[in-house]
Order: sequence, then structure tokens, then C-alpha cells
Amino acid sequence: MDPTVLKSLLSDVAELTGEHIVLAGVSWLIAAAIGVGLGILGTRRRALREVSVAVANILQTIPSVALFGFLLPVPLIGGIGRHTAILCLVLYSLLPILRNTIVGIQSVDPPLREAAVAMGMTDAQLLRLVELPLAAPTILAGLRIALVTNIGTAVIAAIIGGGGLGVLIFRGVASVDTVQILAGAIPAAAMALVADAIMTALEKRIRIQ
Amino acid sequence: MPYLRFQDVSFAAANRPILDGITFEVDRGETLVLLGRSGSGKTTALRLINRLLTPTSGAIFVDGQNIAQLDPIALRRRTGYVIQEFGLLPHWTVEENVALVPRLLGWPEEKQKTRARELLEQVGLAEMAARSPRQLSGGQRQRVGVARALAAEPGLLLFDEPFGALDPVTRHEMQQQFLALQARYRVAAVFVTHDLLEALKIGTRIAVLDAGKIECLVSRDEFLNVDKPVTRSFIETIRV
Repeated sequence: MDPTVLKSLLSDVAELTGEHIVLAGVSWLIAAAIGVGLGILGTRRRALREVSVAVANILQTIPSVALFGFLLPVPLIGGIGRHTAILCLVLYSLLPILRNTIVGIQSVDPPLREAAVAMGMTDAQLLRLVELPLAAPTILAGLRIALVTNIGTAVIAAIIGGGGLGVLIFRGVASVDTVQILAGAIPAAAMALVADAIMTALEKRIRIQ
Repeated sequence: MPYLRFQDVSFAAANRPILDGITFEVDRGETLVLLGRSGSGKTTALRLINRLLTPTSGAIFVDGQNIAQLDPIALRRRTGYVIQEFGLLPHWTVEENVALVPRLLGWPEEKQKTRARELLEQVGLAEMAARSPRQLSGGQRQRVGVARALAAEPGLLLFDEPFGALDPVTRHEMQQQFLALQARYRVAAVFVTHDLLEALKIGTRIAVLDAGKIECLVSRDEFLNVDKPVTRSFIETIRV
């Protein structure tokens, strides 16, 4: 390959990897805040739990490409660009986080919860001192799944002008250029593997404590 | 004035009466045993005292105050509670578990620690302070449960069949320890069990509960002379 072409490809990879990290990371952080928050509230309010899980479930069943497409014509929140892509990724990664938060908290042993209440814990103390620490490994597992999925799904952001490594992949597919496809796919896969390894290590550490 | 008083207390769940017109009193230094078969309502009676449940009618007084007018959180923090499933927090050390209520009450950290160590010393588990509850035997865990219930110097202690799952020898040791602690702290204790020998060993008075009613409420010494059907059927269980 021509050195100048290679150089320009590498600089594209670097820039798009940065965009990809922003896409996947920002949407993951937003989904984490919403999913964990809603999950906690859902363990306190049955109706909220059922509605939120149902909505997240439906969102998850929409094919990701379609979800990106649906948001394109929506005014204010939709349209072309990065913010629409982030919104799609948030909606898409909500379910594992929400579900694992609810399951993690609900699987705390009922006698244990009752003993904590009988000792005089307020609901906030029960949550902070008992439920969240015991649910932490499960919640982290949900966050890990969401992050890894997000890194993969963020590739699709390119079709609505959201940037990221998908730009290289779609460009490569359109021009039947394997090098470009690999230049997009390999960093995305590596990113997913690294994220998975970090989150798994975190989970293990928490479980041991 | 009695430390704990039940005044014509009834409780019903889903229109099914579980407790019906219960009245009794417990002084400090006294242990009232609620003896009854499964489903007689004895655990429900305990759960009314720390407001895990609320009576349908009647009133419960602790230290002269109607508990319906007390903050349930504050009430629970001054009411020790020991249950069979231990309820120890698995992610905390033994010492942290014992210091739970003092911590909730906002005691200074040094005082929490001193108090937890003192109690672990008394139940013979001083060297286990830094362990996880998972590393203890059933009997040891139950000792931690008792130490935890005593930590914040409650005037009232509730025991819900705490020794039911222990082997007979361990259970005997726990009962001896209970008597020693009760002699020292002189709390008002309510102890739920279905084991008459246990009731006779640790109760100052014994109330037999049947279908939500108190069939008899007598001192330990009078118990074996009671001539009432459920009480007699309990006495039968220890006749050789």
C-alpha cells in the first residue's frame, strides 16, 4: 500500500476510534444512570418496574438498524448526527442494565432484608448498606453486557452520520475494500474485548469482597 | 410499670384473624415465652412489637409509650431482634455486624468498636471479630446474632425461635448463655419457641398460644399443673 494512503488511513482510524469511544462511552454512561436509577425505583414501585421493563424489552426487540432509522425523522431529539446515535445507543443498552439492577436487588435474601429492617434501617440505608453491595456483581454484569454490546452497535451510528469506526466499515463495504473494513472492525473488536476484560476484572474483585 | 404491655391486641390478615384479644405484660429482667404450634400466631405477635406489622385493634406499650405513636425506625433501634435465619450481613465482618445498630444510631466509631468487641468477648467470639459470618458455624452465627441484638443496649429483646436449627448440645449452650446475658442485662425479653423444654429452661413465665388466643399464661413453676388441652398436649411431649 502506498505510504501516504496508509498514513491517511491510520489517521482516520485514530480519529474514528476516538469518536467510537465517545459514542459508546457517553451513551453507556447515560444508560447506566437511567438504568440503575430506574431499576432501584422499580424495586420500590411495582407498576414502575413492570412498565419500565416492558418498554426496555420492546426497545431491545427493535432491530438496531431500524431503531436508528426510526429516530432520523423525529424533530428535536432525532435527525442526522452524533446526538441521535447516542440516543439510540442509550435506548438500546437500557434493558440489560435495568433488568440486572432489578434482579440483583430482588435476589437479596428476604430474611436478610427483613432482619436489616427490623434492626432499624431506613429504606435508604437498606439500599446503601445491604441491597446495593449485595447486588453489585449482578449490576456490574449488566453494565458489562451493555458496554460490550454498545461498542458493537455503535458501528451502525455511521449510517445516520454519527461517526465512529462504522464509517470505515460501511465505506469498505460500499467499495468492496477489505482493508478498510478490517481497519474499522479490528479496533472495534479490540475495544470490546478490552472493555469486557476490565469489567470482568471489576466484577471479580467485588465478588471476592 | 411493665416495660412491655399488650392490651387486647388483635391482628388479622386478609380478613383472617391471626391474633385475637392478646393481653400480657413483661417487666425488665423477665423472659416471657410464647409457646405454640406452627401457625398459632406467636411470630406475628413478635412482629407487632417492632412494628413490622400493625395491630388491627388494641394497643402495645413499650416503656409506657403507645408504639403506634413512636417512629418505627427509632423503636426498632432500641428493640433487639434475634431470628433463626441469623440475618447477618454476609459482606460485613462479624464485628461490623455486631456494631450495626450502634452505627445506625450514629455512635462514634471508636465507641461502636469497643462495644462490639465487648459483646463478642461476652459470647466467646472475640477472636472471630475480623471473620466473615460465612466462616462461622451455625451456633457461632447465632451468638453473633444475639450480640448484635444487645449492642445498642436495648430495653427489650425479641427472639423468634432463634435456636431452632441448632443441634441439641449447641442449643443447650446457647440457652445457658441466654440466661447469663439476661441475668446481666435484665431486659424485657419475649421468646418465641415451640419447644417446651426450652420454654421451661429460659422462661420466667410461659404463655401458650393457640389459634391466636392465649390459652394460659402462668409462671414456669405452675406450668406443669395447668389442665388445658393445648397446654396438656405440650406437656405430653416431655413425658417419658
